[in-house]
Amino acid sequence: MRPPKTGRGGGGSGGGRGLARGGVVSSTRGRESGRGRGPGRVKGRESEPGSGIKGGSKVLVTPHRHAGVFVAKSKADALVTKNLVPGEIIYNEKRIFVQNEDRSTVEYRVWNPHRSKLADAITTGVDNIWIKPGVKVLYLGASSGYTVSHISDIVGPEGCVYAVEHSHICGKVLMNMAEKRTNVIPIIEDARDPAKYRMLVGMVDVIFSDVAQPDQAKILSLNASYFLKSGGHFMISIKANSIDSTIAAETVYQMEVEKLQMEELRPTEILHLDSCEEKHACVFGGYRLPRKQKADSAV
Amino acid sequence: MKIYLLSESPSGYGLFEGHGSDEIGQNTEAVRSSVSDLTRFGRVVQLTAFHPFQSALDALNQINAVSEGYMSDELRSFLELNLPKVKEGKKPKFSLGVSEPKIGSCIFEATKIPCQSNEFVHELLRGVRQHFDRFIKDLKPGDLEKAQLGLAHSYSRAKVKFNVNRVDNMVIQAIFMLDTLDKDINSFAMRVREWYSWHFPELVKIVNDNYLYAKVSKIIVDKSKLSEEHIPMLTEALSDEDKAREVVEAGKASMGQDLSPVDLINVQTFAQRVMDLADYRKKLYDYLVTKMSDIAPNLAALIGEMVGARLISHAGSLTNLAKCPSSTLQILGAEKALFRALKTRGNTPKYGLIFHSSFIGRASAKNKGRIARFLANKCSIASRIDCFADNSTTAFGEKLREQVEERLDFYDKGVAPRKNVDVMKEVLENLEKKDEGEKTVNASEKKKKRKTEEKEEEKEEEKSKKKKKKSKAVEREELTATDNGHSKKKKKTKSQDDE
Repeated sequence: MRPPKTGRGGGGSGGGRGLARGGVVSSTRGRESGRGRGPGRVKGRESEPGSGIKGGSKVLVTPHRHAGVFVAKSKADALVTKNLVPGEIIYNEKRIFVQNEDRSTVEYRVWNPHRSKLADAITTGVDNIWIKPGVKVLYLGASSGYTVSHISDIVGPEGCVYAVEHSHICGKVLMNMAEKRTNVIPIIEDARDPAKYRMLVGMVDVIFSDVAQPDQAKILSLNASYFLKSGGHFMISIKANSIDSTIAAETVYQMEVEKLQMEELRPTEILHLDSCEEKHACVFGGYRLPRKQKADSAV
Repeated sequence: MKIYLLSESPSGYGLFEGHGSDEIGQNTEAVRSSVSDLTRFGRVVQLTAFHPFQSALDALNQINAVSEGYMSDELRSFLELNLPKVKEGKKPKFSLGVSEPKIGSCIFEATKIPCQSNEFVHELLRGVRQHFDRFIKDLKPGDLEKAQLGLAHSYSRAKVKFNVNRVDNMVIQAIFMLDTLDKDINSFAMRVREWYSWHFPELVKIVNDNYLYAKVSKIIVDKSKLSEEHIPMLTEALSDEDKAREVVEAGKASMGQDLSPVDLINVQTFAQRVMDLADYRKKLYDYLVTKMSDIAPNLAALIGEMVGARLISHAGSLTNLAKCPSSTLQILGAEKALFRALKTRGNTPKYGLIFHSSFIGRASAKNKGRIARFLANKCSIASRIDCFADNSTTAFGEKLREQVEERLDFYDKGVAPRKNVDVMKEVLENLEKKDEGEKTVNASEKKKKRKTEEKEEEKEEEKSKKKKKKSKAVEREELTATDNGHSKKKKKTKSQDDE
């Protein structure tokens, strides 16, 4: 498949100082003022480390192995997703603009692995994230919605993301974001009680859990028993210090995996995320996966 | 033993009947295997009844009841209508499967319908949830998701106590509208002048103001019909009798051409339009003032509504304004000068939008920068209070304004200003005293109207309690916020990192 044409490198900050628009710089022309978005963001700050795309460089965007995710190659590579709502950014992330053959521009948003555990897992090299266009995802621990926004980019308009977040402060930011993206359904509720929001959620294909609570295995299994379809998949990010800060990280991961296995959540991959955070791991797996050897189909 | 299932969905309540329960018995495993296949599951479970919610508000009430585990009246009537009657004394031959035991016990207490919520029921409900949209014929494929989205938004808004009045978007739009209106009114007014000058050129020099010109041209209409009787009306419009006479005199000796009645009507309508727009602009300004006092009263009290609104719109929202450091607030609006100076290592600008507040003008030339910095600091405090406090009061804004005045005095005369800590303490004491005063008033009223107006009392008690709670919350917040702004800033950066 032919990769899209190299576009104007619009992803970087110019001269070490971000401009007041979240870092959108077009290489040849000056400041883009006709975005139609009215007030600019007030941010003179430098971009986060990890996306070394400078303004003016040519950027090549190719699809990643995982469907819906793309890689932007220039001097430094960056993970990007296609923006579902062109023109809107969530957290002052950089955007990359690529021009197609028919002169329309496609907008991609840079995904920062330091901010998002899923991006970290992808750059570390996970086999399968199970999140692709058209999939329904339940996200526990959505916080302000940074990762949720990227997942919503990936699943596209056919899929949807149910974002559960307990805190009110983060919840407000999440709700503002959800107003612009119609495939994000914000639920401001404690993930420990899936019964409370059972009216708002249908059956999902993937559960993504990033709650950092000591009983997170139980939370995940309870939500799975309510909402995760048989044969569905899950991803849980384990912060060793949240579970038990006194014992070694490896032991913690093993304990969590055992707890999950008891509840029919069978892990298929365990990834240590050491590049961006320490003592973090990601477990990917399946729920009620059919056993191929046994005669009866019941698991 | 028949088993029914209650399934709550965002579109309505669904009642299902578990048929082949004789075959499956109470075997969870068998249920699971049947769930995956719709045809098989369709034989196990069938739809008995579906009660759609009447409106979005109805749906919100239902979800509130369901999430707390209570049975609402609509649910009760739905169940009693569609389930077989429970006879007194006899053991009912069916049971209702629900998702959780709490709502089950509520239903049982009220209607004597036996409920169960075990693993078996759970598995059946999973199947129902998976195939729900197939069961309900009226639901089109996308409807369920839309209902989920809408209901989730209203539920979440209720949870975070989303207040429609405190939406800052209105202020941003109003400010843009005001600027656009100004430009448009100006260009239209110029057009009126040019157009009418074809007929009566001298009027332009006599009447300078755009709005008055439009008004006068409407009164005069045709200059040939101008006479002494128009003078009172003209005086009223121009509020100057000499000018009115001048106009009449000029009209007689005018060298402009005559216009046909049709043309004159055209000019008239246009002049009317201009006047209407100018009136609307005034109303919009008043609207802006009210909105600012709703969403950012302290900021408005400190630097005025217009400058405050411009700051908010430049930052993008009140939250963005509150998040940025005060040095950014100081030069908001002067970005071009700022980055140019930074690149060429020159002097950075001292003030941006803040310049238009009255304080900067009053400072002497060498103190302008100092006052700008001081003002920006106070504006930051005010905007943070406005953004994050639960109730809105202008007490802080007024005190901050006093502080800026004191600073100005200090630069002028050397009068030492009060310490910030003392001023803030004063504000908090005032707020508390206000609430105490109201509480004592309520207490004495209670003694008077003891027996006859008990209900009124209770209402007042509740109100005073709420106010006291609010003031305490404001106190706690403000002590953390106004403690030189440091602790709040630290908290902020920490929470930003966490996010």
